[in-house]
Amino acid sequence: MMKPMKNNSFVARTRRFQLSNGVTLLVLENHANPTVSLAGSMRAGEYFSPAGKDSLAGVTASMLGKGTRRRSKLEIAEELESAGARVGLSSNTFTVSVSGLSLSRDLPMIVSTLAEELREPAFPAEELEKMRQRIIANIQEEQDDTRVRAYDRMTQLVFPEGSPFHQTPAEKAIGQIESITVDDIREFHQKFYGPSSMILAVVGDVRADDAYALFEEKLGKWQGAPEAVIDITETQLQPAAIRETVVMKDKPNADVVIGHASRLRRSNPDFIAARIANNALGQSTLSSRLGLKVRDEMGLTYGINSSFAESGIGDGPFVITVTVAPENISLAVGATVEIVNDYIANGIREDELKDEQSSIIGSFKIGLATNGGLASQLAASELFGLGVKYLDEYPTLVSTITKSDVDEAIRKYIHPEVATTVVAGTI
Amino acid sequence: MAFTKITEYDGITEYKLDSNDLKLLLAPRRAAPVVAFMVLYRVGSRNEAVGHTGATHLLEHMLFKGTPTYNKHNGTQIASVLQRQGGVFNADTWFDRTRYYEMLPSDQLELAVHLEADRMRNSFIADEDRQSEMTVVRNELERGENEPSNVLHERLWAAAFREHPYHHPTIGWRSDVEGMATSRLKEFYDTFYHPNNATAIVVGDFDESAALDLMSRHFNPIPPSPAPIPQMYTVEPPQEGEIRFTLRRTGQLGLINVGWHIPEATHPDTGALTMLDTLLSAGITSRLYQALVETQMAVDVGAQAFQFIDPGLFMLHITLRPGVTHAEAERVGLEVIERMKTEDVPEKELQKAKNMITTQMIYLRDSPLGVARVIAEAEAVANWKMFVDLPKMVEQVTPADIKRVVTTYLTEDNRTVGWFIPKQEEGIDSNDEAYEE
Repeated sequence: MMKPMKNNSFVARTRRFQLSNGVTLLVLENHANPTVSLAGSMRAGEYFSPAGKDSLAGVTASMLGKGTRRRSKLEIAEELESAGARVGLSSNTFTVSVSGLSLSRDLPMIVSTLAEELREPAFPAEELEKMRQRIIANIQEEQDDTRVRAYDRMTQLVFPEGSPFHQTPAEKAIGQIESITVDDIREFHQKFYGPSSMILAVVGDVRADDAYALFEEKLGKWQGAPEAVIDITETQLQPAAIRETVVMKDKPNADVVIGHASRLRRSNPDFIAARIANNALGQSTLSSRLGLKVRDEMGLTYGINSSFAESGIGDGPFVITVTVAPENISLAVGATVEIVNDYIANGIREDELKDEQSSIIGSFKIGLATNGGLASQLAASELFGLGVKYLDEYPTLVSTITKSDVDEAIRKYIHPEVATTVVAGTI
Repeated sequence: MAFTKITEYDGITEYKLDSNDLKLLLAPRRAAPVVAFMVLYRVGSRNEAVGHTGATHLLEHMLFKGTPTYNKHNGTQIASVLQRQGGVFNADTWFDRTRYYEMLPSDQLELAVHLEADRMRNSFIADEDRQSEMTVVRNELERGENEPSNVLHERLWAAAFREHPYHHPTIGWRSDVEGMATSRLKEFYDTFYHPNNATAIVVGDFDESAALDLMSRHFNPIPPSPAPIPQMYTVEPPQEGEIRFTLRRTGQLGLINVGWHIPEATHPDTGALTMLDTLLSAGITSRLYQALVETQMAVDVGAQAFQFIDPGLFMLHITLRPGVTHAEAERVGLEVIERMKTEDVPEKELQKAKNMITTQMIYLRDSPLGVARVIAEAEAVANWKMFVDLPKMVEQVTPADIKRVVTTYLTEDNRTVGWFIPKQEEGIDSNDEAYEE
């Protein structure tokens, strides 16, 4: 008789639990090292910030780490740092991310801390003041960065005010930060932080049942806000191309950002075809079409890339970025547009498609080789409603994409003729 | 067998290839089906002089331009071949070393080994490639010049080192990068890129005997260098008195860098210096964070012991909050240091720093490439065994050791201080007034 094969699939290795308050918990045991990684999300990101206080979600996430009703920020830090452990929250466009890392024996410490911060935050006024000053200084510092200036300006031209992808201009952002109060933060926390949209993935040296018991004990009774709903309309392509320059002083290097609304979300059925379409064009500076021409052959840049910058819950921009000396801007932009137009006209080559497929599958495997990478992927698959099985199916889904799938995605999602080009530098 | 086993230490085995003295380190870790391969050359910007500063780094770029086997004309361009496998790959250059690495699915180890063996001696160093790659590197340099923090850091090393080649940045001086002849790069390649000047490192999911077989097949045919590898002998004389400088250009936030000369990586004080940077700036409970960031004088602080083959620097950096003067922040930062000369670090605080360092080393084991990088860094500046020994070295550090290293090295005469004072487009910069004090 044949011995049954050991099932190594992610579905077979991952345990899925629902805490009594609705938190989804995924646990994958890996006992190779005495460590545990934690990743997850909750729908309480910048999208939920009220008009006129665009950074409230971000400030709230950071303030959760600034002390609870039981312990000060410093007492919490003292305990975590003494164990070399970390856990924290940070906000993204739509979600708040949870991340944590500890030795396996300290998992209870990071879970308790996370639960305490979520359930009993103190939001001390003096910590808000410190954070306000730091954020303002950071915004000022970013104003000195050609890349940030070009990118932010592109989003302001491509996405309407109020869109989560429209970056708030610096001066306005500083004014808004100054107006945020502790009451605003408390209200935001009450309104949007809750267990029903919370996803947590734990990977590492812990028994799944023990992890479940631990999370149920610390977090299972938390009753926060009801599930927050995201309803975002698709941003349409602009009617015509725009070109703008952000003039800065003393910058030997300029940054060019070419962008437009992508209309691509993670839930689009042709998402994988679109990813392959992008990768062949500009995912790698060293080996994609743009890099092979503009860097390797013409020697104009250290870095040129393209990406669907925020194609997740919503449809962010499609972006091409290139760094270049000011005297080479038109040469680099001209070559870039020519390459993109040729790509749209002729599509991906069969050999290119094959290479990109094996590249995506290989890099997916490499990404899943660490506890941290695996925890992030598990949490992301759950967030996008794809489920754990997606990790097992992904290589097959990638390898069944055809040239006509990719060519269609190129024509659908890449539109240099109506793109916005912003140059930031000493020009 | 073509390899001689030299030693085995904490799960890492060292071999020497008999035919050409290539050093090989094998660290099998079978947690996931990936493998990292790295080749470290003992050549960096430390081996350069004026006229060809940046040669090591430019040469590193040239090693992606191909060989008769791997090149874009036959569809096997190095980056494309690795990208096809979804690999993480690159190369980097620093003062003491240059390293080339790949992390790949474990069934692709041979690709990495073959490619690295091939480009060790067969790289095209062609003039037309040099011309287009020089401008790529020049753009890399310009990107660095965009960042005030990067410029200040480079100026500090240039000020603190007068004679030793740590004086110049790894990327090189702009005019050297522009003017360097292809023949000079070829000479560099032919002088330093030989198996007896390299260490190959394999970490991750592989079978030891299969890896030895692969290594022997691809590296055995490469002869050792025809001449001994030239040794760098310039010594930095002691600094006799504080050095100060200012950098003014358009910018937003003021910056302070302070550097003190410290001994080479093999020195017995390395453990204490590593602990010192953790005590000063790791985490929000650290001393500089508490003194400067919590008090709202700074946006960011950091401390790092840069230890190399030759004596390096212990560095502090402070990013000022708007409205705070350079003089004020510098005074507070240096007071933190001065206090450590007279007061013992409490045992509990010392233990916290030790835990932070040792857990960090444990976290690192999650990634084969992370392990390979740290082994390579230890091998470049001292010996790979330092990677294994670091937690032990740190564990032995006492409060008296901390006091001693601060008192011995972090002195006024041994110090270089650089201020970046932003010139703003309008209004009066309060930091300007600070400089006049």
